[in-house]
Amino acid sequence: MSEVRDIEIKTRELGVTFQDNAGRDVTALTGVNLEIYKGEFITLLGPSGCGKTTLLRSIADLQKPTTGDVHIQGMTPKEVRLQQKFGFVFQQPVLFDWRTVKKNVELPMEIMGYSKGERSDRADEMLEMVGLKDFANHYPNQLSGGMQQRANIARAFGLDPDILLMDEPFSALDEFTKEKLHEDLLRIWRATNKTILFVTHNIQEGVFLSDRVCVLSPHPGRLSAIVDIDIERPRTLEVKESSYFNELVTKVRNSFEGGSV
Amino acid sequence: MEYEVKLEKVGRKKSLSQRIKENKTWQKASTIVLPLIFGIVLVGLWQTEVLHSWFHTDTFTLPLINKIGGIMGDISDKILENTIATVEVAFFGLVIGSVLGYLIAMLAALYPKIGSGGLSVIGAFASIPVVAMAPVLNNWTKDVSTDANLRSMVSKIIVVTLICAADMGLNAYRGLTELKPFSEDLMAIYGAPKKITLWKLRIPNSIPYVFTALKVSVPASIMTAIVSEYFAEYITGVGRAIRENIVLAQYSTAWAYIATACLIGVVAYVVLMVLQSILLRRYH
Repeated sequence: MSEVRDIEIKTRELGVTFQDNAGRDVTALTGVNLEIYKGEFITLLGPSGCGKTTLLRSIADLQKPTTGDVHIQGMTPKEVRLQQKFGFVFQQPVLFDWRTVKKNVELPMEIMGYSKGERSDRADEMLEMVGLKDFANHYPNQLSGGMQQRANIARAFGLDPDILLMDEPFSALDEFTKEKLHEDLLRIWRATNKTILFVTHNIQEGVFLSDRVCVLSPHPGRLSAIVDIDIERPRTLEVKESSYFNELVTKVRNSFEGGSV
Repeated sequence: MEYEVKLEKVGRKKSLSQRIKENKTWQKASTIVLPLIFGIVLVGLWQTEVLHSWFHTDTFTLPLINKIGGIMGDISDKILENTIATVEVAFFGLVIGSVLGYLIAMLAALYPKIGSGGLSVIGAFASIPVVAMAPVLNNWTKDVSTDANLRSMVSKIIVVTLICAADMGLNAYRGLTELKPFSEDLMAIYGAPKKITLWKLRIPNSIPYVFTALKVSVPASIMTAIVSEYFAEYITGVGRAIRENIVLAQYSTAWAYIATACLIGVVAYVVLMVLQSILLRRYH
């Protein structure tokens, strides 16, 4: 890859230290130097306790770093957050029970002060994109887990954010729903050209979706390798059958420090 | 052979009692039918004086139901007057107390340092028994007005207010702070200021908790109103009428007021349930 690409997000010596219940310092993350390109699909991969969610939350300004800093489009994460340039898909759908699916998708636009008509049109568009058009007026608990997660994704795309942060969004879903949503996500990503940071502990998922996989290792959480995934796009589920795909999975697995986990 | 045996096993009907137990219509109906049967049996035992022989009492102390009903008809004007007095106290106390409790809960949720103290104070007030609080407040409100009815009313309303404020405050605080995981992060990601988070997340989240509070405080407000009437300076209200008539050994009239008190409670609860079913329709 010789082409010059714009760097969207840059972390410098990023570290986060928590205090546990006994008041001892626990290093969740240390010395992360990472450059993420504009329009890239990048995965933060690692076992529990490796700090991948902490890294994502630091970039989103939901967590203050103890050391180092993050720059996004030359701004601090806080400035970017207040300009509503982030979309965030949480592990759980986090839909408000008292709002219909459509009203949930409209929430970020309400906060932004979009007009009623604009909100409604945009929400319809997003729901169509994730295949929930017919469920716009349902309440969240009338939807299956997979549909709730689609609504969650529709809400994150609603504001047309520059950067989409996804924290293990599919980990609670069954394999069939997950594969369907993988394909959908790649289609939406291609159509919208966002920068996506995707957190997962599933190696196949990371390899299938990403341009690059950042491997994080635990105790203390740190970035131990970055693996380029140069499988041609658009990718379909058949890619997973190929020997090259499995080669890359093995390569990622072997790059965890201290061997496979 | 084996095949036939299997068929028989699959086709065997469940026992009648089992089928009744599993019947959805019966499950629903039984919540109404069973208490109704209990009520009818009780009325029957009462009216046929079986109850009297069980409890070694007579029809003077425990008048027959038709007699109580007759008196309720005869003095309906007076009963209505006393009912209005009691309902006024309960209603105003409930409304003022609930609003106050909710505001304190909101303060506690937004500014934990100031507000949580307020919540503990109000919680402490609620643990004072009404029989202790009512006479003290009678004393405190002596100078409120020259009209005995009015100052008596104020004193009673304050007692109900304190009870309801505590109930609402503690419940609403939970509703305003016990949010779904990540929902605060969600608001933060979109840069929502505190005010919008309050309006779009905390307040809607607290509505079911408001009804939890009301389910306790609606009956409690009526009970508190009735009890504080016992100690009030001015003689009015259903509770006071019960007391006065027992003192005068007019048990039938006292029972008429006891029945009225029950009716007020039941009607208030039904109104609340109807309101809840309308307002909580979208909370599943």
